[in-house]
Amino acid sequence: MAKQKIDITLQIWRQENPQSQGSFQHYSLSGISTGLSFLEMLDVLNENLTLNGQEPVAFDHDCREGICGMCGAVVNGRPHGPEPGTTLCQLHMRHFKDGDHLVIEPFRARPFPIERDLVIDRGSLDQLIQAGGYVSVNTGGTPEANTIAIPRETAEQAMDAAACIGCGACVASCPNGSAMLFAGAKVSQLALLPQGHPEGRERALNMVKRMDELGFGNCGNERECEASCPKRISIRHIARLNREFIKAALFSE
Amino acid sequence: MKLDASIPDGPLAEKWDRHIFAGRIISPANRRKYRVIVVGTGLAGSAAAATLAELGYDVQVFTMHDTPRRAHSIAAQGGINAAKNYANDGDSIFRLFYDTIKGGDFRAREANVYRLAQISNRIIDHCVAQGVPFAREYGGGLANRSFGGAQVSRTFYARGQTGQQLLLGAYGALMRQARLGRVTIHPRQEMLDLVTEDNRARGIVCRDMRTGAITSHAGHVVVLATGGYGNVYYLSTNAMSSNVTAAWRAHRKGALFANPCFVQIHPTCIPVHDEQQCKLTLMSESLRNDGRVWVPKNAGDTRPPAQIPESERDYYLENKYPGFGNLVPRDVASRNAKQQCDQNKGVGEAGLAVYLDFADAVKRDGLPAILRKYGNLFQMYEKITAHDPAVQPMMIYPAVHYSMGGLWVDYNLMSTLPGLYVLGEANFSDHGANRLGASALMQGLADGYFILPNTIGRYLADCPLPLPDTTASLFTAETKKAESFITKLLAVKGKRTTGDIHRQLGRLLWDECGLLRNGAGLGRALAEIPAIREEFWKNVLVPGTGMQLNQSLERAGRLADYLEFAELMVRDALDREESCGCHLREENQTEDNEARRDDANFCHVSAWEYRGEATTPVRHREPLVFDNVTPSQRSYR
Amino acid sequence: MFRRIGGRLKSNGYPEPCRRINHDPETHAHIMKLRQAILTSVGRKALMALSGVMLSLFLFAHGAGNAVAFLGSEALNSYAAKLHSLSFAVIFFECVLLAAFVLHILLGMSLFLENSQARPVRYQVERSSAQRTPGSRTMPYSGVVILIFIAVHLVNFHFTDRSIPAAELVRKVLRQPFYVFFHISAMAVLALHISHGFWSLFQSLGLSHPKYDAALKNSTLGLALLLSALFIVIPLCTLFIDEFLL
Repeated sequence: MAKQKIDITLQIWRQENPQSQGSFQHYSLSGISTGLSFLEMLDVLNENLTLNGQEPVAFDHDCREGICGMCGAVVNGRPHGPEPGTTLCQLHMRHFKDGDHLVIEPFRARPFPIERDLVIDRGSLDQLIQAGGYVSVNTGGTPEANTIAIPRETAEQAMDAAACIGCGACVASCPNGSAMLFAGAKVSQLALLPQGHPEGRERALNMVKRMDELGFGNCGNERECEASCPKRISIRHIARLNREFIKAALFSE
Repeated sequence: MKLDASIPDGPLAEKWDRHIFAGRIISPANRRKYRVIVVGTGLAGSAAAATLAELGYDVQVFTMHDTPRRAHSIAAQGGINAAKNYANDGDSIFRLFYDTIKGGDFRAREANVYRLAQISNRIIDHCVAQGVPFAREYGGGLANRSFGGAQVSRTFYARGQTGQQLLLGAYGALMRQARLGRVTIHPRQEMLDLVTEDNRARGIVCRDMRTGAITSHAGHVVVLATGGYGNVYYLSTNAMSSNVTAAWRAHRKGALFANPCFVQIHPTCIPVHDEQQCKLTLMSESLRNDGRVWVPKNAGDTRPPAQIPESERDYYLENKYPGFGNLVPRDVASRNAKQQCDQNKGVGEAGLAVYLDFADAVKRDGLPAILRKYGNLFQMYEKITAHDPAVQPMMIYPAVHYSMGGLWVDYNLMSTLPGLYVLGEANFSDHGANRLGASALMQGLADGYFILPNTIGRYLADCPLPLPDTTASLFTAETKKAESFITKLLAVKGKRTTGDIHRQLGRLLWDECGLLRNGAGLGRALAEIPAIREEFWKNVLVPGTGMQLNQSLERAGRLADYLEFAELMVRDALDREESCGCHLREENQTEDNEARRDDANFCHVSAWEYRGEATTPVRHREPLVFDNVTPSQRSYR
Repeated sequence: MFRRIGGRLKSNGYPEPCRRINHDPETHAHIMKLRQAILTSVGRKALMALSGVMLSLFLFAHGAGNAVAFLGSEALNSYAAKLHSLSFAVIFFECVLLAAFVLHILLGMSLFLENSQARPVRYQVERSSAQRTPGSRTMPYSGVVILIFIAVHLVNFHFTDRSIPAAELVRKVLRQPFYVFFHISAMAVLALHISHGFWSLFQSLGLSHPKYDAALKNSTLGLALLLSALFIVIPLCTLFIDEFLL
């Protein structure tokens, strides 16, 4: 596909700091190469704003390879933009047309307060992991790696869940602002692997409890999270979390 | 200054055990009285912080990201080496040691590298116990694959996301310690300076990237695990915020910087596609197993690849290196690609790419077989470029990937500043002049999980217990300095953006201090960098204020350090009049244009001492001694 | 270092030996009590699902009972009389049903209220992926419609003059076109509710398996249509077939 130049208009949420009232600002950009990524398009905007004496739009990003989970904004109503299985940094401008109007908003959820513009605080996801999203093993006292045999298919399924990049798009897309896909992916990964079993029940109970305390909503089984997950993590992992939780609630001692 | 690497006596295989035994152990009851500051939460930082907390130390962790899990270790694709010999193909600790030290072109310490190979097996044990979903065989055992630079199959992997999975393992361990209250995590903090007292590290100065507040923190030990400096070239595979600031500020405070010119350039990256691009993406090297590299025979041939007949294609790697063909090591592949492009044979819009063609492999094995191997990479490529490699050849170009150089550390991973430890990519150890694939993850985790926790006691046992008061002048003077640095940046109010100036610096370094170097070019760069630096301080435009989330200010501060660091890098490159590891020094070639190492004059680590802004830095030498291996000249013909 | 479970202290101040005490602060506080577990989001969703199962079963039973109408008015009357003669069992089942209803409604309300707080500032542009269905989108609202219907339905058929034979009662109510319209609309809403609810309850209870997922997703719409059809046919027959249940 040959590169083209397109003109677009942008409507971006600007908010000075967590306390201030934000609002939408309109910008227009012309001659944007379709070879650019979405974030590079924002770089161009920021370069223009800076040279015009305005403050650039703050947005989180880092690896620009779709793995660090740092970037993310809602573009025309879709977290990480319209392309499925893609982070914002891997979204390219060739998916947009000349004259398109893009509304760019931060990920919104009560547990994700806005720091500035499109930058949000996702510390709540750390706190959720702290409730048990790990195997309690100290460095050093571990058995030879191959003493634990894990069926290939099981390892693959665990890897499907473990692919989560912690970007928060699941929360952002959920009509209820629920973090069930995030929590489900971690619980599921460790429920599939024997290493996670000793703490399996406590993990499911504690992570769900913590998720509620942090102000995330409840899962409505609407499958929006799955559709906007850049790593295409399946809601099957939410089902596994539910199963683990119910088993733990009913049978743990 | 005499550089003492503190390498223990005894046979190579026993050095580490002897060293641990001879070291000092802090009693468990006393450990919580010692505060360890860990800066950076990649593999090395997270692993070190979690392990030190498990041991009972009071650990304070600082990361510039919103959460520790974002560090760029997460982007490592390929895998992690270990000498498990599960494949029964003749691997051993000694072979991993030998491959690593040979891969580094005999510019690393024997004792360090041997220890790394020894520890490699325990890393796999630990990560499996953490629940890292490594790839498995049908029988349930761990799977291995082979990787560049080795003839054995010793690389453990989790799809193309090994770095992510290992980092999440370490992150989990860190989160566990945070929950237990043994680790305090300070997110979105950028270290701006190291606080020293009597030439000892005593704490750090940070800027809160959300509010701009500048604070100082005291600790008995400061651990830097702040990654590499590849972004000095502007375009690299590093994350956008990867920077040299923490390491550079420590260098200015007295820590020696070793081998800054050793930078790895990876041959298989997606080429630059646009002027406004700011980041390069790596494609796994495994693609070269089945892809054939070629360029048009005639310079300036701009026909699409399908229209170039077989007879007019130059499979230059296969022709030049019939033995290894497309599988020559990274540096050779990178160098040849650049040479082809310099001869105007490059392809793509900018002429800065070569083809990596899978047509023959598809013909031989069928498309399904190729997609099974590389499907995810083909997808990734298509996502970025909109071209399907199954239909038309991929375009690749070399890109800056990893920095072997870093702060000088001894066998204990302590820098020349007592109390300052440096781990992972931020230090210079282990990889010599070139890093083998799948060794970065191994080194980061070895440093963090196993080495630092066993060497930190040596320093702490003699460290004065009372923590310095952060309200005392020692600290307040440093915070003031950091504040005035920021004020100075904001006050320039020039006409050029940070990105603009950084691009200029990057282009200069790529041209003169990249794959191919020569004395004249390096001399030119050395003269030009101070001019760019001057331009920066006269003409940079940083909008906004210091007391807010200000990403332009963050970038400007990092560039200011890169502009100083770049000069040291070029100086080191100029000083090293040999071709070794990743770099071809054009004056030092064999008759057939291959790299010629100079062991008689350069078998040493160059460690640079900072002497002030206006003074030329002083080079110290740590000679490298090889008792257990014989340095050999690499040849892939 | 001791964490007391249940707050019991022996007179000497030491915690009473308890079957499970975590001496190690590292292990998680303690295993959650069932009551606490039920009050979490996942616990409530599970109860929501269980009460949904009971309501679905009731709907089937009710539908099957109604189908007796096709056997004629006498059959319906004797079926109704028989049912009412089992007074004890009927009361018991009514209580269970009422409990399930109340639980389903209260839990639904609590989840709805919480969810409405989880995103204090809404998006400027709201665009769903194709994953959201009309059913999933409207669960709380379709629930309210069904609740209103049930109230009206009970007033008409339950809290009414019990001396009227069942068939006559049905004709009395279901010969009114306006009411039948309301009834059919409510049943359509019921279908909407079930079209999400049936699949959703399996997901909430964690009963998901790749082998059966596709079948489950497909059957949920069929089931919704089947159930509502069952309840729509009788009013239609009553309204349009003059001799029906005469």
